[in-house]
Amino acid sequence: MSQVSKLSYVDGKLGAPSTGQQTTRILFNTIEAPGTTSSLTFFRSFQGLTNGQTNLTQNKLDSMESMVIKTIWLAQLSTADVLQAVGALAQQTVSIIVGNQTVVKNLPIHFNQGSNGQAFDRLHENAGVRIDDTGAGTDLVQIFQPVEIRLVTDIVIPPQVAFEVRLESNSGAYGTGAVVCALSGYGKIFSAGNSF
Amino acid sequence: MITAQDKILHVANKLGLTSLQNMQASTGAVYDVDTELSGQIFSQATRHANPSVTNINENQFEVNEALLVETIAFYVKNNAGATLNFQQVYGSSAVIVFDLVIGNKRVMKDTPVFAAGMPYSFANAGTQTVPVGEETRASYVPRHQVYMEGAGVLIPPQVQWFVQYTIFDLVTGAQIAASAETSIGCYLFGTKVLLNFNTSI
Repeated sequence: MSQVSKLSYVDGKLGAPSTGQQTTRILFNTIEAPGTTSSLTFFRSFQGLTNGQTNLTQNKLDSMESMVIKTIWLAQLSTADVLQAVGALAQQTVSIIVGNQTVVKNLPIHFNQGSNGQAFDRLHENAGVRIDDTGAGTDLVQIFQPVEIRLVTDIVIPPQVAFEVRLESNSGAYGTGAVVCALSGYGKIFSAGNSF
Repeated sequence: MITAQDKILHVANKLGLTSLQNMQASTGAVYDVDTELSGQIFSQATRHANPSVTNINENQFEVNEALLVETIAFYVKNNAGATLNFQQVYGSSAVIVFDLVIGNKRVMKDTPVFAAGMPYSFANAGTQTVPVGEETRASYVPRHQVYMEGAGVLIPPQVQWFVQYTIFDLVTGAQIAASAETSIGCYLFGTKVLLNFNTSI
């Protein structure tokens, strides 16, 4: 089933068929100064974030809007704007919760970053290596790639259903800068279209 | 599976553009730079030098020409006319948040383009760079492209379009101002429909 069909199927099952503008959608949310912690939850708090740190104001999509998640993207930045390994390469898992259901459960992310070198697919093989082992990165010299995992199953976020992304570890070091999570995929955005 | 051609013809049919199917299919890209620092790209292309800043005369296609947008990319252009990598100018924590507006409709909404590299557009190889005061070393130079899911979005003939954007710092959340030396440029790439006179003259 294609992503277009799956989105229509799920929205239809929920009684919320949509005729919105079909497009590519990327949702993102930032956690500032996360420090050392065992759990980060993205798309839960929007307080104090600017439009450059998140593009949502609540943890659900608007009425008539929905999307299919194709890719999870994570990046950690220091206060000096240097891209760092997320959680300092510790073993970590990511889960996506939509409504009251866990739709991605404890998916490991650390293979797709840093020097672990075991990316899940060939597209991201470079994400698993560090290009320069001799020096530290700077804001302009990026020696890592951000974490990116391409999902093999389309995950739907229906309209007006709360969702969140959890990143779990055993005391992961996330620093004093920011950690960003983005969900990328196919979506529908509200279109006044024929109704106004 | 809907192909690019299917999507173009579907939209053309919806808009009553019956002659579009007889036109020449091609591959094309349009680009422009916000040299006015207005926060909009393409809307002032008519004032820009061609091809050093833009390759269009106005931000709408002529009769029976169209572009199915399949990739959107951002870059930086300096005063000397050089095309530069967004991260290499603004640093890793910068992010462009943009909308693509076609006619009176927003078809891409609050879409981020991360300086550290976008989903699906990792760099395939590193490059040697020499930041001021540092030794030469290899680094990734990430890409700043959005690959459209599915078949893309069509810009129909004779409909104005533009990209509206703002640059932020992800860590502080503050807005970053561009300058004449760091103007933001954008290209839209995809399946193009070119006017074909063969069937009408």
